[in-house]
Amino acid sequence: MKYLRALLSLAVVAGLLFVLNRPLGPAPALGPFFNPFSGFWQNAESHNKSAPSQLTLTGLKNEVIVKYDDNGVPHIFAQNDEDLYFAQGYVLAQDRLWQMDFYSRVAAGRLSEVMGPLALDFDKYNRRLQLPEGAEKIAEALMHDPTSKMIAESYAAGVNAYIDQLTYKDYAIEYKILGYKPEAWSPLKTALVEMVMRKDMNARSDDYMMSNALSKYGKATIDDVFPDYPVEESPVVPVGTKWDFVPVAVPKVPEMLQASVNTRLSIEAENPGIGSNNWAVHGSRTATGLPLLANDPHLGLSLPSIWYQMQLVSPSVNVYGVCVPGWPGIGIGFNKDIAWGMTNVGSDVFDFYQIKFKDASRKEYQYDGGWRPVTAKINEFKVKGSASILHDTVHYTHHGPIMYDEGQKPFFNDTPVGHALTWVGPVAQGNSLKALYLINRGKNYEDYRAILPFLASPAFNVVFASNQNDIAITSAGHLPLKWKEQGKFILDGSNPLHDWRAWIPVEQTPYVRNPQRGFVSSANQFPADLTYPYYLGWKFAPAERGIRINEMLASMQKATVDSLRLMQNDNFNVEARRILPDLLKILATDPSLKSNKGYEILAKWNLKNDPDQIGATIFERWVRELRLAIWEDDFPSQDPKKPMLLPTRDRTWAMLQKQPTAKWFDDNRTPNKVETANEIVITSFKATLDSLAAKHGPINPATWNWGIAKNTTIKHLVPLFSAFSRTGVYNGGGGNIVNATKEGHGPSWRMVVELDKSWPKAYGLYPGGQSGNPGSIFYDNMIDKWAKGELNELVFLKSKDEKHPKIVAETLLKK
Amino acid sequence: MLYILIIVLSAIAQFFGPWWLMAIVCFALCFWKSSKPVSAFGVAFLAITTLWIGFATFQNISNEGIISQKIADIFKLPNAFLLITVTGLIGGIVGGFSGLAGYYCRKALA
Repeated sequence: MKYLRALLSLAVVAGLLFVLNRPLGPAPALGPFFNPFSGFWQNAESHNKSAPSQLTLTGLKNEVIVKYDDNGVPHIFAQNDEDLYFAQGYVLAQDRLWQMDFYSRVAAGRLSEVMGPLALDFDKYNRRLQLPEGAEKIAEALMHDPTSKMIAESYAAGVNAYIDQLTYKDYAIEYKILGYKPEAWSPLKTALVEMVMRKDMNARSDDYMMSNALSKYGKATIDDVFPDYPVEESPVVPVGTKWDFVPVAVPKVPEMLQASVNTRLSIEAENPGIGSNNWAVHGSRTATGLPLLANDPHLGLSLPSIWYQMQLVSPSVNVYGVCVPGWPGIGIGFNKDIAWGMTNVGSDVFDFYQIKFKDASRKEYQYDGGWRPVTAKINEFKVKGSASILHDTVHYTHHGPIMYDEGQKPFFNDTPVGHALTWVGPVAQGNSLKALYLINRGKNYEDYRAILPFLASPAFNVVFASNQNDIAITSAGHLPLKWKEQGKFILDGSNPLHDWRAWIPVEQTPYVRNPQRGFVSSANQFPADLTYPYYLGWKFAPAERGIRINEMLASMQKATVDSLRLMQNDNFNVEARRILPDLLKILATDPSLKSNKGYEILAKWNLKNDPDQIGATIFERWVRELRLAIWEDDFPSQDPKKPMLLPTRDRTWAMLQKQPTAKWFDDNRTPNKVETANEIVITSFKATLDSLAAKHGPINPATWNWGIAKNTTIKHLVPLFSAFSRTGVYNGGGGNIVNATKEGHGPSWRMVVELDKSWPKAYGLYPGGQSGNPGSIFYDNMIDKWAKGELNELVFLKSKDEKHPKIVAETLLKK
Repeated sequence: MLYILIIVLSAIAQFFGPWWLMAIVCFALCFWKSSKPVSAFGVAFLAITTLWIGFATFQNISNEGIISQKIADIFKLPNAFLLITVTGLIGGIVGGFSGLAGYYCRKALA
């Protein structure tokens, strides 16, 4: 009996330890996770946490000093560049290791290793996009240049010095919940992070939907409804600017693909709001007589934030700005003499090719009058919770991968089945680390232009200002040299003339320096008007943000930091100014709307997407409905078999104003009736009010105000971890508003720099915090200030000896 | 006395090593000291619960409850107090049974 008791009790203990020490389905191992000495309670960061006064790190050449300001921003003072990038990697890993690891796993297509089968299709998609191959190419280029090699290797060594110190209790909470460990960092992982950016900025396409529309309506109609340049536009390079270069020969337009596209797919919403604003004002228009520069890149809003603030100082550099975790150097920022910022160019660099196979075996495809072999690559996937390795076979042509074979279900619904993909991501090489190295140390306009050959992809509108009173903007990157409309529709994979053959010479991408008007700006609109000798794409971001920015800057004299900050938060709705008066006139013809509350509010609306405006809510939802009501019958964007692209809002409003009797207004789903423009406007307005009422109840500010109805949400990178997200961020703005804050996208960093002969002043913040730890007050401490449109004064130290009241801690990194 | 010893020794063990060292501490100390099965289980249970709840509460206070609220949300618990209670129970049950096993093993070998 006594033996039995002993054995039984030991068995219970062993059983408990066994069960509690291993993950239970999606839940973490409860023992270590709940143990307050090691588990999540260790991520409860004390509010009085102070940085250690010194740390010893193997791999440093000399001592490095890291000063922290009261916002948790590290200011790194190194005695050589190797140590500088080593320390950057180390310090970043302290705050954001899990995030950089996550980005690199996304691009490597290895998320399902740690997240399970849920992430498998996403992984397959990212591998098919060739993100890993692209990263290998980038990493190879990094290794060929001694500077970028030094940066990438020192940075990786710094990150790894941090990882080597960790035990379970130090891991980020995401590691503990998901039950995995950080992996060693490498230059390849830095390249993978760059591939995430390339994908976010460039990997979408309208080709398939445009081809469907073309095959239904023919070229003449498509030219009319989907023109290659908007009716209203204010391009990046001012109209009238002379191009001071001799263009290379542009390829002739070859025979177009006439065959209709007959593969199936369905389509979801339009491209997400990847866009941004930046501008620089010449000294002739500022209060100080020297330039001001502003930038707010709009990206998916996430926690941890995509950006991290830092100051990097060594004998060769003193620069402040933001970087992307995993990507060394400062991406957007300023130094003593210059400031620079970026927006996405958004040219068409993602094209599908129709493939004609020789026979059902699909082993050869037609090209240039002959047959070429299809090659196969097998991707392997380890999936959490499954012992066996999964395989995914991808077929390749010389254009690139056939994204999905017949019968496979695409991950994103705008990927056509059976088509090969050519896009800039895996083919552009460049050397972004070298570009950042140079611009971080730049002193003048020549230094700025010198980075262009190294910027490949994503292509950015790089704005620039110097304290020598130069301002400039360049749409920089590797842009394919295309014939007119190449890639507007699906291309012919058998015709060599449809291949991408060359890049636009880097010094001939659109740019302008010190234009007459005294400012430069970009908001993802057309980089240049139709006088530009090269074709970049037929559709860019809607023009409204650019129009508004250029109007405000044109009327600005003696501009200050605060006038630029107010501009970044401007909520004026240019689209409403353009179309609402006409729409209201039409609504006024309907007697039943006379005392309608929604109509009255809209008629009195101040045309601003302020958070406390109901008019903004009604207008934004209505124009979306109205566009669908006009076009969906003719260009069915939701048709699962042959989806088409909806014509742009610009084209829609031009038609409403100038062609009110166009045939497109008739709803061809009602065969016995011919609708007029007025009827469509009125019925869509009533339908919008009905659906808003169904969602938000009767009209009242508590639920209908724009800031509430929009419900801006900043999500954690793992959507399942909603507890780590912030919802209900009260803010105005919108997709086509200068303050481009939408539901889940918006200004991911706002910066204003006042250039100066002796020392610049700069202001900025992002909707997040320096720490990646949801248990830290620095996880989301900037969000409320960001939502209010305020900026922090940035602490830009002159030297390690400068005494600054905002410096609150200091760590000495010893070798 | 046993109660204090378990708290002190298991705190040291868990500070430097994995969480399950506390099971060994409870086992060993109850093997050595405890007089009855009920008290072996009870004292070990209470000691570990005290330690885990105490340390979790300390962490929670210095953090002003930021992380506990979020973790409670993830585990669908209504509030952080319940999270702390769950913490205490997980530790306490392992500690209690380890203590009991220690007592019975001594009896078996006696």
